[in-house]
Amino acid sequence: MSTSFLLQERNLEIRSTAPWHFRNSDRVRFDQMTEQTPNNDSDQENIQTPSESPDVTEPAATTQDDPRQNWLKGRISQWRESGLISNEQSEAILKFEEVPETPFRLGMRFNRLIVVLSTLGAILIGAGIISFVAANWQGIPAIAKLALLIGGQTATYWVAYQLKFVRGFPKVGGALMFTGAAWFGANVFLVAQSYHLSTNNPDLMIWWFLGILPLAYLARSKAITVMAVGIFTIGISWKTAEIGQNTESAFMVMGSLLLIATALYATGMLHLRRNELKFHAGPYLVIGTLLAIGVTYVLTFDEVFRDSRQGSLQEFQALSGSYIAIGAIISAITIAAVIAAIRNTATSADATLVSKYGESGAIALVIAFGWFAAALPFDSSTPYVIAFNLLLVLLIFGTIVLGIVNKREALVNIGIVFFVIDLSTRYIELTVDMLDTSLAFVVGGILLLGVGYGMERARRKLLQQFGMTEAVNHDS
Amino acid sequence: MTPRVKRLFIAVIIVQIVFLLGIVGYRESILALGRTAVLQTVPVDPRDLFKGEHVILRYEISTLGNRIESGSKRYFVRGQFNEGDTVYVSITNVDEHEISYDVQTGGPSDRTDIFIKGKVTSNKDNVITVEYGIEQYFVPEGRGLEIEQADDVKVRVKINRSGVAAIEELIVDGEVWKP
Repeated sequence: MSTSFLLQERNLEIRSTAPWHFRNSDRVRFDQMTEQTPNNDSDQENIQTPSESPDVTEPAATTQDDPRQNWLKGRISQWRESGLISNEQSEAILKFEEVPETPFRLGMRFNRLIVVLSTLGAILIGAGIISFVAANWQGIPAIAKLALLIGGQTATYWVAYQLKFVRGFPKVGGALMFTGAAWFGANVFLVAQSYHLSTNNPDLMIWWFLGILPLAYLARSKAITVMAVGIFTIGISWKTAEIGQNTESAFMVMGSLLLIATALYATGMLHLRRNELKFHAGPYLVIGTLLAIGVTYVLTFDEVFRDSRQGSLQEFQALSGSYIAIGAIISAITIAAVIAAIRNTATSADATLVSKYGESGAIALVIAFGWFAAALPFDSSTPYVIAFNLLLVLLIFGTIVLGIVNKREALVNIGIVFFVIDLSTRYIELTVDMLDTSLAFVVGGILLLGVGYGMERARRKLLQQFGMTEAVNHDS
Repeated sequence: MTPRVKRLFIAVIIVQIVFLLGIVGYRESILALGRTAVLQTVPVDPRDLFKGEHVILRYEISTLGNRIESGSKRYFVRGQFNEGDTVYVSITNVDEHEISYDVQTGGPSDRTDIFIKGKVTSNKDNVITVEYGIEQYFVPEGRGLEIEQADDVKVRVKINRSGVAAIEELIVDGEVWKP
């Protein structure tokens, strides 16, 4: 019993460090092995099972070099050496784990195909209806328009609900649910337009976000989570830009976007703390990272700090009271969230400094730069350009390292993409004045291809080394 | 899906629908119960006016400050206006010949029939720009030019008791414009 208990603890801990890597199927098998625990998962898992079980009968392919199996073998031999499990148990585990490996994996691929196809189908239907309404907009009486829009939205939700939760087609149902959430957003804008309200209004995006966020959690849909967090990010950036309408406050807008990026990332970290929320963490982490690196990239250009009026930076507005207040609140909440997220995390023996404090350090750095950009303490552009270029390089490598340490492939990819973007940008900046344009392009192209080739190899190697597979593991 | 989650799910969908119907109901109530005023627009830079599916409308009362008197209309602008302030434009004697506008912050003027509420978007060199939420009018694709090329565009608006305005129709060169 004690062995089983320990193993289970261990199992939970591993899952917490590799949330995108483990699948429901792995968990089910671990649970069988370690006896079911009362809190060990919500009914959503069970709903997924019927649709996945037929896949087990798929023909098996060879699995000699599966990195995940290698990883498991390595761990099991460590557990055996440390006396956690006996020789017999380790053999039993290995035997148990080997057989169903491939079918599950094939099933996963098949599931992804279903999700892609049904999402495309759902989007086509939605686009068709909206373009029909748009084309006949003037011909349809107002009340019929509204009935069509709101009725369509409700009908989509109803069919999605039936398919997903009642009739056991969770993937197709999930795709339709996504359409319903998109349709709600379209309706917000179309209703505003019907009454000649300004659609050039970030509040509409915030309303859309608020309307669909609970759906993402209730329907346990990653696609809707991505939509909600994406819309929030666009809406809040737009809103920030609107509050700081005049060019004088441009850097306060940039600074607050950096703060918002850290808040998003910290929200993702908090999600990872709870088993039932883990599933939704990815979009917050990824979109937060994208926003932070994207804004930093914009601030690496000298021209940004040399305003079109060719005035000194002093012409930009100094930190306003409202920025200090709102920025302080966002920063405080973010820091509190990060502390809550890293507090009491089970520290395994092989936890490095990076895996323990890497994320919080990066967040603290970005917050500091958010305030730096808004405060504009220097008069010349040089210190900012140097500082933000440095930050960009740090963030790019930090993202790659943290992506590897925390086994989040999406972050590794973001880091690599921005590495290439940064490299190309700096290359063009440097060569534009020095070389003939055509020559610069050719040399640049060759360099990029070379870098791409090298990185593709390095990336595969890295991912393999850390037991990650190419495919993103979660569906819907 | 547990019954609790199911109920929450249905609740979220109902909230979405109620939200949409709420906007509809509110705007319809202004159109049905509001009091009518006719506002004169002023020409806008033609490049800005027509943006494909909607026209941008600028009113005489969109820019306040320099122009205190204009034809048969009188403006009384009281007090200081800062960016973000809410202004109340009280419209007295609304007829074709004599109109006076009392513009002030803090609340509508006492001697008012109707007032319209707006937000100061900028205040530069004593020229105050105000938005009332009626600056866009959606038109069918390709019909915006008719409004852009007209000599005179008036807008009939309905205004509710709180000063929120909604566009009822456009009067282009003296005739009601049919979309």
